[in-house]
Amino acid sequence: MIEIRDLTKAYGERRAVDGLSFRVAAGRVTGFLGPNGAGKSTTLRTVLGLDRPTAGEALIDGLPYQRLTEPLRRVGALLNAQAVHGGRTATGHLRWIAASHHLPARRIDEVLALVGLTDAAHRRIRTFSLGMRQRLGIAAALLGDPAALLLDEPVNGLDAEGIRWIRTLLRRLADEGRAVLVSSHLMAEMAQTADHLVVIGRGRLLADTSTAAFLTEHGRRRTRVRAVDPAALTALLAETHPAAVPLGDGGYDVPDADPGELGALAASRRVALVELSVTHDSLEEAFMRMTADTVEYRAVTA
Amino acid sequence: MSTYPLRAEWTKFTTLRSLWTTPLVAVALSAGITAAVQFAYGRTDTSLTEDPMEGLYFGLNFGQVAVVCLGILLIGQEYASGTLAGSLAAVPDRARFYRGKLLLGAALGLAVGLLTVAGQLAATAATVGLDLTAPGTWRALAAGVLYHPLLLVLCLALTTVLRNQTAALGLLSPLIFLGTTALTAIPGVREIAQFLPDRAGLYATRLHDAPDVHYGHGTGLLLMTLWTAIAAAAGQYALHRHDA
Repeated sequence: MIEIRDLTKAYGERRAVDGLSFRVAAGRVTGFLGPNGAGKSTTLRTVLGLDRPTAGEALIDGLPYQRLTEPLRRVGALLNAQAVHGGRTATGHLRWIAASHHLPARRIDEVLALVGLTDAAHRRIRTFSLGMRQRLGIAAALLGDPAALLLDEPVNGLDAEGIRWIRTLLRRLADEGRAVLVSSHLMAEMAQTADHLVVIGRGRLLADTSTAAFLTEHGRRRTRVRAVDPAALTALLAETHPAAVPLGDGGYDVPDADPGELGALAASRRVALVELSVTHDSLEEAFMRMTADTVEYRAVTA
Repeated sequence: MSTYPLRAEWTKFTTLRSLWTTPLVAVALSAGITAAVQFAYGRTDTSLTEDPMEGLYFGLNFGQVAVVCLGILLIGQEYASGTLAGSLAAVPDRARFYRGKLLLGAALGLAVGLLTVAGQLAATAATVGLDLTAPGTWRALAAGVLYHPLLLVLCLALTTVLRNQTAALGLLSPLIFLGTTALTAIPGVREIAQFLPDRAGLYATRLHDAPDVHYGHGTGLLLMTLWTAIAAAAGQYALHRHDA
């Protein structure tokens, strides 16, 4: 288990991470979300002991990373898929990492097969696409068969097939009992992958909740209605639900309305409905609303 | 042992062509140029024969640039490619990581030194001949061997201080190749420049005393060792202090 306690990392006056606390539990995929510049990467680098925290700590099974005897067997990390030497082959890159922990050569073949790079094993990395580098980075993270995984924006550069592959892989790794932390700035992507969400903005914790609870809390429920006679529906809603939002095709989105009551109301007024359904705000909208105040760099409309 | 930094460093070295070819270039340049110059001018040019080590080590002036590059590349390529983060994730104890680098650097330098001096010695013996019984000859040969690991570790350590491969290459290679030689040519500066590490180390590889050098041959090697030790400590401090 990974535990981050009151973590603060300051660069001069600017606080990249500001009093952040959360846990990454075993057996589930935790999505680590925030707009670009929110402090996700800094947090991950601190967990790995690459950046020294200004205050607070990050612990792995109760120990700071530097005190782990064989760190790669505890934590596997992919921080930046581009941080590899292009002159090495995929195998060469994995060989030095394996050598640092005396891992068997067989393990290199295993992880290359797992990420689908067996055929590219002896190609130089400089010929790899970003997607292939992401796969290689994931192979490197899995080399020590670690109990916890930290992946920073792993879907960047992956095509649709690659994204589906990584989703399945993360699910499987979590089901094997590992703690999986995946950072992303894409809420929709995380909604489909993560069991739990940690949302930060400007280095501060905004939410630490299950994906389902996040959706219930932040994804506003709306009832969508459409009638045979749109004019009758308009008249009815103007009277009973002034907050209803017209959809342009005669239908309406009625926020926070119970579909049963709305249906009964329409029936009592003899308004024949052709559609009555419940929709939620997408996670992306909830995320945007939540982080709107914390987005660091915003285009200004003049 | 929990992690194996030296094993990892050796594997990094063998899996990257730009790394493992550099020591071969160093040996080939040093021995090759010495052989060519001794063959062509060894018997006629008195500047090469007056102090026989002048001719024997002629190729070293060129080969040492490859040694400097190897020292810089061993850690510089980690800064340039960004693999340092991965290296420190694998070996989080920075002192252990750094010791692995220094140890590999010293071992490679020693191997290059042995091969280089053996090559230069063979080339000199085959062309102009060398009196191995002349006083100081063995000291000068041993200093020639040791000059390589010292120079290599010095450059590795200074690159760690600079934390930038390009800056290190830009600064160190011209300095070693041209700079310190040029500095000793300026009368006033020579008084100070003779204490620079490569000058001091190279003085230990000569047979004859130079009248304007303020220290002995043995002390020269000691001076270079001292420089290298200071640089190694500074590198350790820089690595410890900065975020990776």
